[in-house]
Amino acid sequence: MSFFGYVRPDGSVGTRNYVLVIPQGLIAKAICDFVAGTRMITTVDHGSGRTGNDRERIARVLIGLGRNPNVASVIVHAASPGVQYAELTAERLADEIRAGGKRVEIIDPARDGGVYAAIAKGIQLARLMTVEASKLRRVEVGDEHLCLGVKCGYSDTTSGIAGNPAVGYLFDKVIKAGGTAFFGETTEIIGAEHALAKRAVTPDVAKAILDAVAYREGLAKSTGLDIRTINPIPANIKGGLSSLEEKSLGAIHKAGTAPIQGVLQYAQRPKGKGLYFVDNWMGSFSIFAGYAAAGANLVLFQIGGGGLAGRNLLEGCPTVVAPFLWCTANPKTYAMAKDNMDYYCGTVIESGEDSEQAGERLYRTVIDIASGTLSRSETLYYSDPIDLCLEEPRF
Amino acid sequence: MPAKRALIMHPKDNVATTIEEVLPGDEVRIPQGGEVLTVHAIEAVPFGFKIALEEIPQGAIILKYGDTIGKASRPIARGALVHVHNLEGTRARGDLEGRVKG
Repeated sequence: MSFFGYVRPDGSVGTRNYVLVIPQGLIAKAICDFVAGTRMITTVDHGSGRTGNDRERIARVLIGLGRNPNVASVIVHAASPGVQYAELTAERLADEIRAGGKRVEIIDPARDGGVYAAIAKGIQLARLMTVEASKLRRVEVGDEHLCLGVKCGYSDTTSGIAGNPAVGYLFDKVIKAGGTAFFGETTEIIGAEHALAKRAVTPDVAKAILDAVAYREGLAKSTGLDIRTINPIPANIKGGLSSLEEKSLGAIHKAGTAPIQGVLQYAQRPKGKGLYFVDNWMGSFSIFAGYAAAGANLVLFQIGGGGLAGRNLLEGCPTVVAPFLWCTANPKTYAMAKDNMDYYCGTVIESGEDSEQAGERLYRTVIDIASGTLSRSETLYYSDPIDLCLEEPRF
Repeated sequence: MPAKRALIMHPKDNVATTIEEVLPGDEVRIPQGGEVLTVHAIEAVPFGFKIALEEIPQGAIILKYGDTIGKASRPIARGALVHVHNLEGTRARGDLEGRVKG
């Protein structure tokens, strides 16, 4: 099985072909507003006043996005508030991205004659870099080059019955072909961690899964709150989910049945192929950027949506560089938000479609979009700002 | 009135998930291992919500996917809606253990 993608110098394969401008801020915005084919990250998490661990998390996101196979080349500017910390200097970011063999250019207002001049230089560079990128042609490659990430959200009972199992089928198929896939949301495996730990490739990986849950559950208990006032979220409860455990047991179906190779931190790149659990928060606007930074070249949001009303236009979640697919198994959600949906499998519930056939349809959709068909959310310019998954206090 | 449909995720489960709007008095049919289990709804169970397949005493474990999704916070009759009013999650309950003093 195969798709058509862009082969990068490090052997990874992109499903898109962008020039990326990092970090966030005025210079990146000015360049990306002016030059077609560019991408930027929009976030308030620039690193200033953050701990070393969180600055390193931010650096992982920026370097990871630069190294993502969907990126042809990168412009790094040196005018972000965090840029003087060692973790976040333009040189460090550029060097680590260059290690993947890509062209990286630095623009620096201090060296290039001020911000106005740096923007002008960046625009000029970006125009030439996008032309250079466009000379690359898609070629047919095997599915071992797919790297997928999934989140389930606005979950309801259709998620566990049909929506997540379809993603699980997709993951199993891609992993069997030698590909890579990420799932995560540590709070939302509480109550289902024993089932995942059994699938770990080594006792150490099993322990890492259980430890991640124990830590997160301990944090939740330390608030003194009933988790049900936070998660399941109101839309989950309106959709028929009654407890965090029920949500978790449905949620893990999106991870299929493959062995779990390891536990990754937010935006951490895996060492090998296969299925990985990412120890992260469920937030829609942070999780996908983290997957993209870890190398995902396509991501899926499997939604229930039974607890939503009137949401017939869905904003895409920010991934910066990875095409984003909306999927649902809820007939009401599909009827409400059909324009937004790349994939629907409520047919499993409504008319008894075989779940394997439904999974196969999802696989075909993913191959099409990986090969260049636009996902519905890619037709929109709007993307919410990203709140990076940072863990420590600010000072 | 035609019977309504619900799904059971695992043979051990004591609840099923409705896949149609169920009204009080409706017969609900649940396919299970080649046979069909029948329960009469004693109250409305909206699409995607859970119906009790048996009487569940207060404090008893509620099973879906063959696994624990919580316990009954009050006695639940066969055919009743099972949701947050009578099912209580047992994990990450900071309210039960109290705030950890740091």
